[in-house]
Amino acid sequence: MAKILAVDDSASMRGMVAFTLRGAGHEVTEAENGQLALDVARGGSFDLVLADVNMPVLDGIAMVRELRGMDSYKGVPILMLTTESHTDKKMEGKAAGATGWLVKPFDPEQLLATVKRVLG
Amino acid sequence: MVNAALAQFQQVFIEESLEGLDTMESSLLALDDGGDAELVHTIFRAAHSIKGGAATFGLPEMSSFTHEAESLLDEVRGGKRAIDGGIVELLLRTVDCLRGMFARARAGEPLNDATAEGLRGELAAMMGRGTAAGGLQARRPADQADAWTIRFRPHAGMLAGGNDPLRLIRELAGLGELAVTAELDRLPALDKLDPTECHLGWTIELAGPAKRADIAAVFDWVEGECELAIEPKHVVAATAPPAAAAPVADVAVARAQRETSAESGTVRVAIDKIDGLINLVGELVITQSMLDTFRDGVDASRLALLEQGLAQLARHTRELQESVMGIRMLPIASVFNRFPRMVRDIGQKLGKQVRLELVGEHTELDKTVLEKIGDPLVHLVRNAIDHGLELPAQRRAAGKGDIGTLRLEASHRGGNIVVEVSDDGAGLNREAIVAKAVQRGLIRSGESLGDEAVAELIFQPGFSTVAVTTDLSGRGVGMDVVRRNVADLGGSVTIRSTPGKGCVFTITLPLTLAIIDGLTAAVGGEHYIVPLVSIVESVQLKREAIKTVAGGGELFRFRGEYLPVIRLHELFGCPDAVRAIDEGLLIVVEGDGARVGLFVDGLIGQQQAVVKSLEANYRRVNGVSGATILADGSVALIVDVAGMVRMQSRRKVA
Amino acid sequence: MAGKQAAKGSGQAQAGAKAVAQADTGVAVVALPADCRIAAQAALKAQLAGGLEHGAILLDGQQVERVDTAALQLLVLLRRELDERGGTLAWRGASDALNEAAGLLGLARILELPAARPA
Repeated sequence: MAKILAVDDSASMRGMVAFTLRGAGHEVTEAENGQLALDVARGGSFDLVLADVNMPVLDGIAMVRELRGMDSYKGVPILMLTTESHTDKKMEGKAAGATGWLVKPFDPEQLLATVKRVLG
Repeated sequence: MVNAALAQFQQVFIEESLEGLDTMESSLLALDDGGDAELVHTIFRAAHSIKGGAATFGLPEMSSFTHEAESLLDEVRGGKRAIDGGIVELLLRTVDCLRGMFARARAGEPLNDATAEGLRGELAAMMGRGTAAGGLQARRPADQADAWTIRFRPHAGMLAGGNDPLRLIRELAGLGELAVTAELDRLPALDKLDPTECHLGWTIELAGPAKRADIAAVFDWVEGECELAIEPKHVVAATAPPAAAAPVADVAVARAQRETSAESGTVRVAIDKIDGLINLVGELVITQSMLDTFRDGVDASRLALLEQGLAQLARHTRELQESVMGIRMLPIASVFNRFPRMVRDIGQKLGKQVRLELVGEHTELDKTVLEKIGDPLVHLVRNAIDHGLELPAQRRAAGKGDIGTLRLEASHRGGNIVVEVSDDGAGLNREAIVAKAVQRGLIRSGESLGDEAVAELIFQPGFSTVAVTTDLSGRGVGMDVVRRNVADLGGSVTIRSTPGKGCVFTITLPLTLAIIDGLTAAVGGEHYIVPLVSIVESVQLKREAIKTVAGGGELFRFRGEYLPVIRLHELFGCPDAVRAIDEGLLIVVEGDGARVGLFVDGLIGQQQAVVKSLEANYRRVNGVSGATILADGSVALIVDVAGMVRMQSRRKVA
Repeated sequence: MAGKQAAKGSGQAQAGAKAVAQADTGVAVVALPADCRIAAQAALKAQLAGGLEHGAILLDGQQVERVDTAALQLLVLLRRELDERGGTLAWRGASDALNEAAGLLGLARILELPAARPA
């Protein structure tokens, strides 16, 4: 199945995402902030990146911008995990190069449906 | 949670949220002290995480509650609203309320209560709207048609952003029959093409009864990244859409499946500690394989090597023991962190100005000690502000600054942890204490007491010197309880007071509860361990030094006072023990503020004992705090000195 | 179908993206990679540009498992380029994935894709 990078500073959220995706047969790599995610991303290739917006060290928006700057991540779907109250964040994320978003709260089924949607 | 296996993440979520709330609180306090804008971001992030996670992990009430706080913070963050004392106050109460909600979540109780509802209203009011902002009005009925024309032309950058038109069109195909025409008019020449850009466009005829909203939903992520027109070909009458059999029931399911497990006893361990352990185990394995070479016998030439190997084994074992104990060690910061808020609140209530100094927050304590030291410290802190520090006017009169200083300091001292609570207040009021003690019958009028003895009086049960019971200290808990709590942890409390200059309470605690230093005593064929911290002295007595009192109790005179004798062989029923007082030994021990003499056959020696719970392995036994395994493999019981003292005093009463 | 003469050519089809084999007939054979998505397009474009010099390109799309709009857009441009130069574009075969994508994007006809061969 797909190689997925899950980035969130919240261990519970990250854990839930990773658990759900692994359960669906995906290979999941976890990172707890944008900077660590970039380090991981440089060293490997992923079919999908799921990233929280608000994170310490390097937030999701800045991370997406950096990722899109790398040739190997052009076109790779990057979904922001965000809350619906933040339309401006969605737009900021899109401007930085995010593919789309998954609105918190989401349950495992919604997560899988969205992942299926982007991975086809 | 929909998936029961995911319930575990709820626990993790609650733990990290509680940490987030601590951060929020300390940041709010710092903000109140004129902190910078970064703090607002930190606070916002914490609230945002809780909101985002709460509904995901089956706590939707909390999510909507936090949403209000987050909106408020967002306005502050965006510069739309200036932060002031009122907002800080409101948010601090929100933090408290959320803590309560998490506690109820852990207990599996309903999350909302009157406080939460009230606070939510306040937050909403602050945002300038009523609580009833319950979502947007239903949108106008979805346009519906049985055929659509969709014109879609991505901007050049859409591909690189991960939105492949192929995926979008494939999704449209799920809504009905498609006839797709590609528009090639904007394609560049091959050599001019940046292959990561998109220059194609499409006109798509969709046949099938689809709603506009469903079609628009396909393009939800690419709004602003393409030109898009969705036009109905044949409009149908707006019939009421059938009520969607939507997944609304999820929440109820989530609640039903939520584990109601209470706080689980977990410890977070820093990676470097684990790495250290792994290293040590590696060393042990090497030593073991080295020693293994002696399996076939030892000849004299290799004796030195054997000795070296054994010494190594001893060192590594000790280090491993220390490292394993270290896993239970956590910084005292988690306890200290509650004080800035508390000191601020109490100070405000009493009209006293207090500067709190926290020193040694990184000092590590055993997790169990840490969990139990909070209450005694809270009491000492309340006490220091309530009774120790003066009102600004009084301070000025005494030639001191308006602001009193309260200092909490933790440090390692020898094998102990020392926590000091000091203030620069008025110090103990000797006259008031003596008068009160006389009134309570604790001492006789005219009895002359040293400063130390006077200070000791405040640890007596039921002692209180304040005429007006304030709602702060007046909780029916006195310093005697503080001392008992600390004693239960194997520690002690002392007080040092300088009139006019202030007071220092010193709590001394063992590094860990898992290992104690003890004296091994023989009683008949058995061995008992007496914790070293509670031993005052051991004495051998002549027969005539013992006085027998009515009821069969025995007393002996020690440093001017009569102490009861507890014969361990009688208490624990050991046969073949020494019975004659002059043939055995009395160990004078102190616990729970009183002293007793433990009669044993003799002393064997001092040793460190790894405490095993008797309760966990057998059952609770009065007078015994645990057991340990001796070098020869036999079991020795560890004497619970405080418990014995209490048993003794009950016997006295009865 | 154009370029049928090359369909059974001796150039061997390779799964790798770097397979440009030159058949006796002066036809460049380009095998599309299994993962023929945006990240592979820069290399593919360079390969195709090299093949243009021969005037005729034989595409082998049998290995394609994943494909996206970027790839099909590139192929459309190749087709147009060859048309303008009077060259030919022929297929050694195309996978289901390639056919499905071209169909959805409305590009099957311009690309003159052969139907996937029954197994």
